[in-house]
Amino acid sequence: MLKINNLSVFYGGIHALKGVSLNVEQGQIVSIIGSNGAGKSTLINSISGIVKYKEGEIFYKGEKLSKQAHKIVKSGICQVPEGRIIFANLTVMENLRMGSFLRSDTNGIDKDLNRIFDLFPILKEREKQVAGTLSGGEQQMLAMGRGLMSNPDLILLDEPSLGLAPLLINTIFDIIIEINNMGKTILLVEQNAFKALSIADYAYVLEQGIITMEGNANELIKNEKIKEAYLGKKNVDFISV
Amino acid sequence: MSELFLQQIINGLSIGSVYALMAVGYSLVYSIMNFSNFAHGGVIMIGAYIGYFSLTFLKVPFFIAFVLSAFGSGILAVVMEKIVYRPLRKRNAPFLYFIISAMGASIFLENVVIASPIGPTFRSYPTVFSSEPIMLGSVALGRIDLLMFVISAISLMVLVYIIEKTKIGLSIRATSYSIKGSTLMGVNVDKVIFIIFVLGGLLAGLAGMLFGMRYTVYPQIGNITTKSFIAAVFGGLGSLPGAVIGSVLLGLIETMVSGYLSSQYRDLIAFALLILVLVVKPTGLMGKTTEDKA
Repeated sequence: MLKINNLSVFYGGIHALKGVSLNVEQGQIVSIIGSNGAGKSTLINSISGIVKYKEGEIFYKGEKLSKQAHKIVKSGICQVPEGRIIFANLTVMENLRMGSFLRSDTNGIDKDLNRIFDLFPILKEREKQVAGTLSGGEQQMLAMGRGLMSNPDLILLDEPSLGLAPLLINTIFDIIIEINNMGKTILLVEQNAFKALSIADYAYVLEQGIITMEGNANELIKNEKIKEAYLGKKNVDFISV
Repeated sequence: MSELFLQQIINGLSIGSVYALMAVGYSLVYSIMNFSNFAHGGVIMIGAYIGYFSLTFLKVPFFIAFVLSAFGSGILAVVMEKIVYRPLRKRNAPFLYFIISAMGASIFLENVVIASPIGPTFRSYPTVFSSEPIMLGSVALGRIDLLMFVISAISLMVLVYIIEKTKIGLSIRATSYSIKGSTLMGVNVDKVIFIIFVLGGLLAGLAGMLFGMRYTVYPQIGNITTKSFIAAVFGGLGSLPGAVIGSVLLGLIETMVSGYLSSQYRDLIAFALLILVLVVKPTGLMGKTTEDKA
């Protein structure tokens, strides 16, 4: 569904992505794990058209992906960004309306709105509230709901667990699985490697702009190097229990 | 209530409402692009001239002249954005460059008019309305003052409707909070910027013609936007309600000071109040505040 060939991104003199290639199949959850500054957000933002790349190609559904952000959204890719970037000055409802900005199918929009309220009942309750007053977890739910409002086929999730309490992280990951079950393909970028691997079909490890490892998520989670670098020994014991 | 007081309220509302027409132009641009578009005065000046020549040279009906100056200024504002600001935006230039370019554009427009056959002379609009005021009891209501208030109020209501109730308005509000956020929603930010310059330009054209009718037309008439800029800061830059409230308050304060003290103290007291507001509340009365918890 999404195929990236040899993508390179420079920020001034800094070479942030050095020839990254990856593949996302329809219906999958694909995770990209890596530490801070590995280039995960750069990768996601290149797909979304926010970061310009000079080398490499991105194909989506067999065609070359546009480099203009609004055309990318129109073609069915949406990003739920790191730090959520909900519109704090707008109400919850207006935020969701912004999600469907490019759509004009009123019936479809209403249907998706109801689906999102089923998925996140708290958003229905807070419909008229200004989004800036929501708690962190609610803001993450709003950001995901807003993303779904564009009726995307592919959702790019950038650090959905960032800054959330452990219990909330579980809820958010359950919802990611639920969204995947709705037929949406998911590309997930996470620092929380254990969580990201445990729900993914396939995963890539990104280190300093290079993909250093890839494989089925259930195999990577058992890989010694990954255990050491990203999961920590204690976590591993916990998994085997 | 004394008659003088009522009279000054009426005068203050009428002048304040035209300040508001100009101030919202500053606020719209500031809310998205985070800089003060000092070229706005030039757009207002051109609007005043378009209105003047529409009436004297083309001899079109009065309301057509309003439409022409609004559209002329709207187009000029968009052209300026394309020529002056877009190249800076594409290079992610710091906001200081925008302000300097805006000042340059303003000086350029002023001098183009002076150098052209129009020249630096003061020109008076032809008489459209009789200068005889409408008397409400013993309070005199100037016909042009009334026109200023009515046209400004209607335009501002239309603007508020667009911003608050339409999809375009929603995207403007979203973009004012986060350009990245709205880009990710599929908003074409170039288009949003185009729209705010069109809206600001249309209102600038109306304001230019109203001021031209009330006073005279001359190349430096755009300097009157200093007042509306002050009003926009007073109300809180980036906030449309703030710009309107700040403008009306400034108009009222000015006319009250002129009426009760002396018009010599008008600017002194208005600016002193501005400084006071900014000392107590630096974001202005209703400035952009982030309600973000995270």
